[in-house]
Amino acid sequence: MFNSLSAIVPMACVTAAAIAAMTAEAFRAPRERMPIGPLGIVGLIGAAISTFLLWNRNATSFDMVVADNFGLFVTWILILVGILSIAFSSPVVEREGLPLGEYYALMLFATAGMILMAMASDLLLIFLALEVLSLAVYVLTGIRRDSAVATEAAMKYFLLGAFASAFFLYGIAFTWGVTGSTNLTKIGAAIAAQSMAPSPMLLFAMGMLFVGFAFKVSAVPFHMWTPDAYEGAPPPVTGFMSTGVKAAAFAAFTRVFLAAFEPLRGEWADVVWAVAAATMIVGTVVGVSQSSIKRMLAYSSIAHGGYLLVALLAGNDLGKGAILFYLATYAITNLGAFGLIGLIESRERANDQISDYAGLWQQHPWLAALMAMFLLSLGGFPPFGGFIAKYYVFIAAVQAGYTWLAIIGVLTSVVSVFFYLRVIVMMYMTPASATPIRVPSIPAIAAAALVVTAVIVLYLGVLPAQVMDWAAASIGTIF
Amino acid sequence: MPFPILTTLIALPVAGALALLALKDDHEHESAIRNVALAISLVVFVVTALLWAQFDSTSADFQFVERHAWIPAFGITYAIGVDGISLLLIVLTGFLTPIALLCSWESVHKKTRAFCMTVLLLEAAMIGVFVSLDLFLFYVFWDAMLIPMYFLIGIWGYDRRIYAAIKFLLYTMAGSVLMLLAILGLATLHAQATGNYSFDLLALYDLTIPSHLQYWYFLAFALAFAIKVPLFPFHTWLPDAHVEAPTAGSVILAGVLLKMGTYGLIRFAFPLFPEAAVAFAPYLGFLAVVGIIYGALVAMVQPDMKKLVAYSSVSHLGFVVLGLAAMNTYGVQGAVYQMLNHGISTGGLFLIVGMLSDRRHTRLISEYGGLKHVTPRLVAAFLIITLASIGLPGLNGFVGEFLILLGAFAWEPKFAVFAATGVILSATYMLWMFQRVNYGPITEKNKALPDLQPREWVLLVPVIALSIVMGVFPNLFLKPMAPSIERLLGQMRQSTAVQAQQPAPGGQSPSAGGN
Repeated sequence: MFNSLSAIVPMACVTAAAIAAMTAEAFRAPRERMPIGPLGIVGLIGAAISTFLLWNRNATSFDMVVADNFGLFVTWILILVGILSIAFSSPVVEREGLPLGEYYALMLFATAGMILMAMASDLLLIFLALEVLSLAVYVLTGIRRDSAVATEAAMKYFLLGAFASAFFLYGIAFTWGVTGSTNLTKIGAAIAAQSMAPSPMLLFAMGMLFVGFAFKVSAVPFHMWTPDAYEGAPPPVTGFMSTGVKAAAFAAFTRVFLAAFEPLRGEWADVVWAVAAATMIVGTVVGVSQSSIKRMLAYSSIAHGGYLLVALLAGNDLGKGAILFYLATYAITNLGAFGLIGLIESRERANDQISDYAGLWQQHPWLAALMAMFLLSLGGFPPFGGFIAKYYVFIAAVQAGYTWLAIIGVLTSVVSVFFYLRVIVMMYMTPASATPIRVPSIPAIAAAALVVTAVIVLYLGVLPAQVMDWAAASIGTIF
Repeated sequence: MPFPILTTLIALPVAGALALLALKDDHEHESAIRNVALAISLVVFVVTALLWAQFDSTSADFQFVERHAWIPAFGITYAIGVDGISLLLIVLTGFLTPIALLCSWESVHKKTRAFCMTVLLLEAAMIGVFVSLDLFLFYVFWDAMLIPMYFLIGIWGYDRRIYAAIKFLLYTMAGSVLMLLAILGLATLHAQATGNYSFDLLALYDLTIPSHLQYWYFLAFALAFAIKVPLFPFHTWLPDAHVEAPTAGSVILAGVLLKMGTYGLIRFAFPLFPEAAVAFAPYLGFLAVVGIIYGALVAMVQPDMKKLVAYSSVSHLGFVVLGLAAMNTYGVQGAVYQMLNHGISTGGLFLIVGMLSDRRHTRLISEYGGLKHVTPRLVAAFLIITLASIGLPGLNGFVGEFLILLGAFAWEPKFAVFAATGVILSATYMLWMFQRVNYGPITEKNKALPDLQPREWVLLVPVIALSIVMGVFPNLFLKPMAPSIERLLGQMRQSTAVQAQQPAPGGQSPSAGGN
């Protein structure tokens, strides 16, 4: 009997840690320091171990949660995102005086929701997971209650997010109306049966689902909330949501569109093509004119969503592997960048303008070097992971015949290099301002997280073969 | 397993750069850092010399080949090797890097450790570009090389360095990303033909590529390389980069980086897409000739010495492209030879300009005059290098330009005629600059200039010696490259001949489909 529960063990571990964090918060004296962050990491490590044990098992629970290798690979990414986010959070939580227990509990609940989303094989469950993670992330965005910017960002994110959730729910309802099921496999079978002449209702349902997903992965034109939310949230939270939410949403997106709605590819391919192109172009072009580093990285993450959409569209064997590899690389790199931004912020000054980074190299050569490395990786330079990931997406696109999309992709990535370089120019080539950034001291856990991200970014760039094989193998289990 | 000499050549500078991290980056350790970096680069040079010594110059094949799987899923291998074309370019890289380090002894005091590391990393990437036999690996090195050069210009350059650095990087990248797509297209084509992906150059040489794709791919490759060369009208990044770069950056940029464009043409673009290469060669030749004359005319009116030398590079590299486009033995041999020459003589000119601007902190020709009276030795060196750059018989420039013109004449006499005017023009602008700087009355500001320091002797003597040796004994350098060039030309003739016989089935298939 317990065997049927095995697929939910990873998220159960994370949820247990979250509940423990909440309980601990209840018993915490106002100024008492409790190791709640490490507690969360323990829960995540438990999840990682269980994920490892589930590999290649294809376990299923309740006919709704499938721990296939695809879901497990994404889960691994999410666990890594969770661990690193917690590690990067510790100095920020301390500095800002954020409520320890609530902060970490929300982060863990969000992670549990993400893991559930990656493994869900039922539209309703996907919706449930989406809400679990979204609600937690809305609150995290506005967790700096005394900050007007943060509150505005959370409000915006919440309203638009609720709207998108409604779209998504409508999509589910209509899909159920047409196919009589919310189970992805059954939906797939029902659609395949009538793929020659899809009913308008089905197309409508598909469109609604697409809007819901497009919002969550901040694809253009559903990206409006992204820069505000990313700017208002504390940097580690931004890192967390710009990678975790995206990874989870793309996992579900892939499952729904490449598995259940695959027979209707002819109907959605053109739309995804246009959205992918628009996302890459808008993300990079608008990113060029940003003066805040967080907004700049927000637009950059929009653009990266565009590359992921290209991989999704390419949808061949290569493309499917490319999604996972790209998600892993992007998640690690972006987390590192936002983690670093979090360290550089201080209570007195936000330090979030690109011009604040002037002369960082003089003060903190290692931080500058790591930042340069993350930015160059995001820009797609070898020998960093971002290069291999982009290349993987483009070869999938070329092979699938989407040459023009690949051309748009490479050209936008040249434009994007321009704004990544601006930060590097500031750090390395501009003399420091009168009051340069001084990072007091970096806690060991955050420093360790930085080193880990840097090593992974280099590893993925220099020896990508192993992870590529895993990505390709794991995606093979669902299609 | 034989000793992996090429991997050593790539790994040694990287290891050296990492080793420098052990030394503290402060004033006390400055000279230690410089000495260690110089020692490493000298060791690399010795290894490149050993490579040349062990190279079998009768063979046309790739030698010292190493192959390891890197990303097996796509057939990407770590495949490296040298043939006669790349051998001397590697030696040139090894030769110029210590010079670049040594020439910044006095002028770079800011972040010396980072500077030395950047130069060493750049060297590793440059050698990587020349030895790659796998297109993907080649692209990795090609792109990776941009980053250190970008930092070199942007951190240690002159006033408008940031603008120049970004322009350099974005121009080169914009050209090369389309090449990346063409590379991916080639690998996909290989997969369609044989069932598995491959980026191996030798495997792709054998691939039959349909004509229309050849044209697109050739254009993508040619654009990347034309920007790098730089071929007119893609040259506008070069004067900025050259002028703003520190002397070391200019020497490496002119000496090695520009060669990557022409090297890419002869190694990748021409042999991979022979049919398209033949079709586009007249256009390349035309642009090359325009570049020769345009570069020379613009050089003539430059008030800034560095800018003058930069435009002269546009002109000289035009010769190289012309020789390659001729696609005959003389032309290609001359082109490869001229690549080496240009590296040495233009590198030398940048050294001299750097020495003058170290002394006076200006590069304006009008600020100088009458240097012959105060710094006779420096002027003598200046003269020899100037003459080498012009192509005086007995010095290196002559051999290359002569062979190229010979090759161009055999191919398309018109181009040769116009290109020959470039030789005359180059004499005009170089000698005119030389005259304005070194002759005439001595001005007050220049009266106290010191003559060559021992360190500067060490820099200039090898450059001058090499110019003379290359001018007098060209066969020493032509011999190792000859078999490889012959093989390459033969290979191209063969594949264009095969494709010339084949248009019938290609032309018939649509009509057959129509029937």
